[in-house]
Amino acid sequence: MSEVDMAVIKPEIMKSYIWLQTVDGSIQQVEQEIAMFCPMICHEVIQKGMGSSKNYAISLPQQVNPAMLSLILDYCRFHQVPGRSNKERKSFDEKFIRMDTKRLCELTSAADSLQLKPLVDLTSRALARIIEGKAPEEIREIFHLPDDLTEEEKLEPLKNATDDPRIRLLNRLYAKKRKELKEREKLKNVEVDEELVDDRSVDDLLSFINGDDGDSKGIKTSKSKKKNRRRKDLLKSTSAHEATKNHNKESNGLNSVCRSAEVGQILPGVGATTNLQDVEDDIFPNKNEFDDGDIDDEIDPTLKEKIDREVEDFARRLNSDWPERMQEILSLGQEKKPVHLSLNGKGS
Amino acid sequence: MSIVIKQREPSRLPSKADAEFDRISNLPGHVIDQILSRLPIRDAVRSSVLSRKWRYKWATIPCLVFDNHCFNFSSQDQSFIKNKLVNIIDHVLLLHNGPIHKFKLSHRDLLGVTDIDRWILCISRSSIKEVVLEIWKGQRYKPPSCLFNCQNLIHLELFNCLLKPPLMFKGFKNLKSLDLQHITITQDVFEKLISSCPSLERLTLMNFTGVTHLIIDAPNLQFFDIGGIFEDVSFLNTVHLSLISIGLYVNIDNEENGAQDNSSKLLRFFVNLPHIRRLEIQSYFLKYLAMGYVPSRLPNLCVDLNHLSIRIDFDDLEENTAALCLLRSCPNLQELEMLARPEEQSSMERSTNFWEDDHWSSLFAHLRLVKVSGISGVKSEMDFIKFLLSNSPVLEQLTVKPASQEGEWELMKELLRFRRASIYAEVIYLDP
Repeated sequence: MSEVDMAVIKPEIMKSYIWLQTVDGSIQQVEQEIAMFCPMICHEVIQKGMGSSKNYAISLPQQVNPAMLSLILDYCRFHQVPGRSNKERKSFDEKFIRMDTKRLCELTSAADSLQLKPLVDLTSRALARIIEGKAPEEIREIFHLPDDLTEEEKLEPLKNATDDPRIRLLNRLYAKKRKELKEREKLKNVEVDEELVDDRSVDDLLSFINGDDGDSKGIKTSKSKKKNRRRKDLLKSTSAHEATKNHNKESNGLNSVCRSAEVGQILPGVGATTNLQDVEDDIFPNKNEFDDGDIDDEIDPTLKEKIDREVEDFARRLNSDWPERMQEILSLGQEKKPVHLSLNGKGS
Repeated sequence: MSIVIKQREPSRLPSKADAEFDRISNLPGHVIDQILSRLPIRDAVRSSVLSRKWRYKWATIPCLVFDNHCFNFSSQDQSFIKNKLVNIIDHVLLLHNGPIHKFKLSHRDLLGVTDIDRWILCISRSSIKEVVLEIWKGQRYKPPSCLFNCQNLIHLELFNCLLKPPLMFKGFKNLKSLDLQHITITQDVFEKLISSCPSLERLTLMNFTGVTHLIIDAPNLQFFDIGGIFEDVSFLNTVHLSLISIGLYVNIDNEENGAQDNSSKLLRFFVNLPHIRRLEIQSYFLKYLAMGYVPSRLPNLCVDLNHLSIRIDFDDLEENTAALCLLRSCPNLQELEMLARPEEQSSMERSTNFWEDDHWSSLFAHLRLVKVSGISGVKSEMDFIKFLLSNSPVLEQLTVKPASQEGEWELMKELLRFRRASIYAEVIYLDP
């Protein structure tokens, strides 16, 4: 055919197509106006001149597999038509979004990689609707999330992002608690017959923790394990003391927010074994520095007292809002000799 | 749910079947932000216990909304609720990490002034774009001066507040939408506020104290919604204003003002509104417009006006005159709504033949939809409907809704008789 003849051919036949290649290598052609609805494809065509032939097919991001591409193109095919009413579009969207959670997540990822914002909005809304109002266990089940946080971590509000003495103090306390739990676990496994019923009330426990006689033996372990750190800490101890107060308020406070979430965790956790995970390094980068072995410490008694008071104060504040948690931790120790928590005339 | 002994998995990579794969945690951060932003704040924060990856995802959500739906408190104790609320907001703000673009606080329980001040200070440091503050109880709340330093503000909505910006306040350069309801603000502050927000496109003002003369100098204003008590309104420099809804909540007495000012409120109102598209005249505003001289038609026709809604007392001569002037001045009107104002004192019916006279030289050439409501079947009202039906050749629908069931049979019978210029016209009668 001569060029003149070509020019006479009706435009409907000469529909332009864009060539797209998905991550698995398969190539397909798509009508231009539909494909250009996606900003990323639009950019590739206009800025880089890609997509005009099979050899120059636009490589789509890896999140876009053929199934997702087909869904996205369905969406574009409907919405790129200008004459549709809002009601029609909304109705289409409602039907379009009905799919299982797995595909919904994949679709969100694929749409985001193609920068198709309206579709990302739609899928985000659908995912939010799925999450809303559900308990954490349900959400984990739906999305197959690993339940890889320890009980304590679920209660921990802050990330130890800085080398902050208050946070170190807090971390140390957590490390102690974790150690206590671990040891209790070991003992529990060994001495399974002994059953001591701990029928102290919550108030008793609280007043015990708060230390009626000022000498809270319950924190003895943490005191005895203090070594090097405390020398440096003492210099900052006064400021840390003040700071811990504020810090404590934060940690206590968030727990009231998170508590509704974690109560669901704690209650079934009572009586079950707690997680014996080691402390994660990313949370406690300073762990190595105060690795407490069983080294006896040569502590100057006055310093020791000061530290005692600090930690006790801190612990009191930390624990004063968590009666349930204390009850859980303490109740785990009920079936064996309380090695670390000597009860001052309460209970045994 | 059975209790499982949880062992830490040795490997991070899931060696499970494809169907069990966690697809959501690795979505890009901005997508997760979007998802979490759409949840009530409580659910969003709770996501921190889902898994290791989710611990801090909530902390970057860009919008924080604290309203009645956030929290379920079963307690009736006011101070308990208040403390809990304050506690929660404090902690969310403290633990939040990243820019906050939208902040909404709207809780029915009384909150302490210092608490709100503190929260506003916190968000003002965070390039905030939208602030909605609804103080349900208590006196008018005065936002601290740090609110006026938020130069990134695009939308500001205040309910039950007292506005007193600092002296150095130079306006919100990026503010596009301003919504002030139940506020106290002085005349100067109001004028300065409006004129110093050059990007302002939408202005809503309801129930305000302290401003009597509304002077609107806003070159980009498109939407204006106002209801309250004022003496005067004038638009300067509002070329783009296309949607106005204006209501004057106090009945002005024409006799008082009669002698002084003969200038036409109607003319002054429309002089700077060349592109008005939708106009709603509510409460007693038509009476205000009827003050002074009322021309038979506006000198510059409102050619873009296609929707007009007027609250009118059909028995009042001045109001009818003003309405007629308006109707003559919008040749392209497509939708009309006339709402009869129920008068408190049932004065002696001034039966006029206003709508019977032949005022009409042109027709409602484009009028398609009409709604007339709140009528009781008096002569002046029925005259108007008759007038309307016989002068609208392309009318598609006339909806009539009376104020009460009294006399509705008579009303309907009369309605049936009226001649209709449009062969397509449907006359729909709605129950009161």
